[in-house]
Amino acid sequence: MSEKSKITYKDVVCPFCGTLCDDLEVDVNTKENIIIEVRNACQIGTRKFFSSNPSEHRYEVPLIKENGSFKEVSWDEAIEKTADILANAKRPLLYGFASTECDAQSKGVELAELLGGILDNTASVCHGPTLLAEQDVGVPTSTLGEYKNRADLVIFWGCNPVHAHPRHLGRYSEFVRGYFRTDGRNDRYIVVVDPRYTHTAQIADLYIKVNPNEDYELINALRAELRGVEIDEKEVAGVPREKIKELVNILKTCKFGVIFFGMGLTQSVSHHRNVDTAICLVRELNDHTKFLITPMRGHYNITGSNVVFTWNTGYGYSIDFSRGYPRYNPGEFSSVDCLIRDEIDASLIVASDPASNFPAAAVKKMFKHPLIVVEPHHTPTSVNADIILPAAFAGIETEGTAYRMDHVPLRLRKVKEPPGQCLTDREILEKLIEKVKEKKGEL
Amino acid sequence: MKMAEIKLKLKKEPRYPLEAETITPDYFAGKSIKEIKEAILFHGNQSVKLKEFFEVSGTSDDIKETKILIEGNLSKVKRIGQGMTGGEIVINGDVGMHVGNQMKGGKITVNGNADDWAGAMLKGGELEINGDAGNYVGAAYRGFWKGMENGVIKVKGKVGRESMLWARWAKKAGKFPTLYCGGAGDFLGMHNHGGTIIVEGNVDRYAGADQIMGVIVIKGKIHKKLPSFKKIGEVSEIELPNGDKITGKFIEYSGDHSVKKETNGRLYIAV
Repeated sequence: MSEKSKITYKDVVCPFCGTLCDDLEVDVNTKENIIIEVRNACQIGTRKFFSSNPSEHRYEVPLIKENGSFKEVSWDEAIEKTADILANAKRPLLYGFASTECDAQSKGVELAELLGGILDNTASVCHGPTLLAEQDVGVPTSTLGEYKNRADLVIFWGCNPVHAHPRHLGRYSEFVRGYFRTDGRNDRYIVVVDPRYTHTAQIADLYIKVNPNEDYELINALRAELRGVEIDEKEVAGVPREKIKELVNILKTCKFGVIFFGMGLTQSVSHHRNVDTAICLVRELNDHTKFLITPMRGHYNITGSNVVFTWNTGYGYSIDFSRGYPRYNPGEFSSVDCLIRDEIDASLIVASDPASNFPAAAVKKMFKHPLIVVEPHHTPTSVNADIILPAAFAGIETEGTAYRMDHVPLRLRKVKEPPGQCLTDREILEKLIEKVKEKKGEL
Repeated sequence: MKMAEIKLKLKKEPRYPLEAETITPDYFAGKSIKEIKEAILFHGNQSVKLKEFFEVSGTSDDIKETKILIEGNLSKVKRIGQGMTGGEIVINGDVGMHVGNQMKGGKITVNGNADDWAGAMLKGGELEINGDAGNYVGAAYRGFWKGMENGVIKVKGKVGRESMLWARWAKKAGKFPTLYCGGAGDFLGMHNHGGTIIVEGNVDRYAGADQIMGVIVIKGKIHKKLPSFKKIGEVSEIELPNGDKITGKFIEYSGDHSVKKETNGRLYIAV
C-alpha cells in the first residue's frame, strides 16, 4: 500500500458507548475503502470500527425473505414493500434509534407520527427507569469534565465500567489528573456498591457487597442515617449497621462526590424507585457537601434519542401516536409490554438488536408479525427479519450528532464510504416517509 | 326511583386495545340509543363506532340517573368511566387499563379483574373491584405530584405495585383518599402525602416508602419493612383520618424517616 492511499483522521468520536471518547485516530486505506488502524480507542470501540470493513457479516444490498431465504432486491422494491406493510398496520412499532445519529432519530419521530404507531428507543430496557425517576424527583447532575476536575469521592453503584465503559475511568472518573485532582487516582476515594466483586470493585478503595435486588433498602437506610435517625435493624441488605454509618461519614465529609449508576439500579426489581431514592440521597447530601449523580448510559447515542424524542414530542421514550398526538406511558406503550400483549402487528427496527435484549416471550411475538430492520450487519434480529434495509454505520460512514451520557452533544465524523448500496439511516427513513405519504394520499 | 339502564354487550373481542373513554354516564346521559351507537372509540390507530364492538339496548336519563351495564371480556378495553362525575357503571367481566381514571363522582363496580391504573388520580366517587387489580391502583400518572385526592377504592383481591402513589389528602376540605384491598404488591403507598390504606391480607416489600403523611394498616404480614420505619409501640385501636376506627392488635411504626426526622406518617402491622 502506498502512503498516498492512507489517510489518518484525528479527533474522531467513537460511536460505541455513552462515554463517546473524542480523541481517536483512525487510519483509512482510501483506495480499498477499509479501516486499517484505530488508535486510542478501547478494544470494543476498535472492533466496532473494524466491523464496518467488508465481510460476510455486512449487508450491502436490500434483502427480502422469500420461502425462508433472502433474495436480493432493488431499493425501490424494498422501500415499496416496507411502506406497504407499515401503512397497512394498525399498531406498528418503531424501535431502536440508540446507535444512530440525531437526524435519523428525528426522521423516526416523523415516520411514527405519520403511521400512528408506537415509538420507542432502547432506554425502554435500559435507563428508562432513570427518566421516570428524574420526572418524579428531579436530578442534580453535571458534565463529566466537572467530575474529572473536582470529584474526590466517586461511587460506582450497580455498574462495571472496567468492562462496559472501559475508558470512562481513564478519561473522567478514576485515574485521570484533574485541575483540583492533580495526583489522579491518589486524590480520589473510589467506592463500589455491587452484589458481585467486579473488576471495578477490585481496584476500589471500598467495596460494599449488597444483596441482589435490595439496593433500595440500603439507600433508604443511608438516607435515614444521614438525617440522624438511629435505625432498628442490625443489618440492611447484607450490610452491617456499622458499615452503613462508616459510608454515611465518607459521603458527608468529601469535598465533591458523585454517584455513577448503571443497570444494577435501573433493571433490578425496584427499577425506577432505586433511582428515585438514589437521587433523593444525593439531594439530601447537598446539605452537607457538594454531591451529584449521573447515569452510565450504554449505547453511544441513547441519550441523544431521549433528547431528540423529547424536543419533538415532549417525551423521552415509550410514545404512542395512535390518536394522532403523542402520549407517554411506560408499561402501556413500552415495546416489551406491547409485544408481550401481542398488540403489535408490524415492527420497524432501526439500528438496534431487540432479539438479543428482549424477553423471549416478546421476541416470539415480534417474529410472528412482519419485521423490517434497518441494520448494517448480521444480528439475531436481522436474520429473522422479513425485509433488511442495509444501512451505513453512523459515525464511521456518515456524519451526525450524538449526545454523551452527560448530555453534551458531539459531532460524529465520516472516515470512510459505505460499501455496496448501503444508505444512511436518515436517507432510508426519508425514503420511507415519502413512500408512506404517497400511500396515505398525503402527497 | 329506578335508574335508567343502558346495556352494552361486547360482540367481538378487539384485536388491538380499544380506548373507550366515551363509555361514561356523562356521555350517555340524555342521548338516544341511536346516538350512543355512533359514539367514537379508538381501535389501534383507527377510530371506530361503538356499535361495531357492542350491542346496545336500554334508555338513558340524567347523568346521576344513568346506569351502564357492560357484559363480556373487556380486558382489552381501556379507559371505561374516565373522568365520570355521576351515575353508575357495572362491568361483568375483566376490564382493561385505566378503568375509572380521574373519576369525580358516581360508582363503578367491576365483577372481575382490572388491569393497571384502575382509579388512577381518582378525585371522588367509588370504585369497587371484586377481583384482583393491576399495578398503580389509584396512582398518580407519570410525572404528576398529586395522585388520588378523594374517593374510595375497594379491591377484594390483590393490588399490584406502587398503588396509591402520591396520594394526597386535604384535611380541612374533608378529602380523604382511601384504598381497601385484600393484598398488595411492592411500594404500596409510595410518596404517600395523606392517603389511607387498609390491607386485609399480606403485603410484599417496602410499604410506605417515602411516606410523609398518611396511614397504612396491614392486617396480614409484610414481606419486608423498610429500615427507615421506627417502632413506636403496640396499639389496640387505630383511628383513621376520616374518623373510622379499626380494632385489633397492631405494632405502630412511624415513617418514612428517610424523608423527615419527625414525621406523622404511620404504618400499622398486625401482631
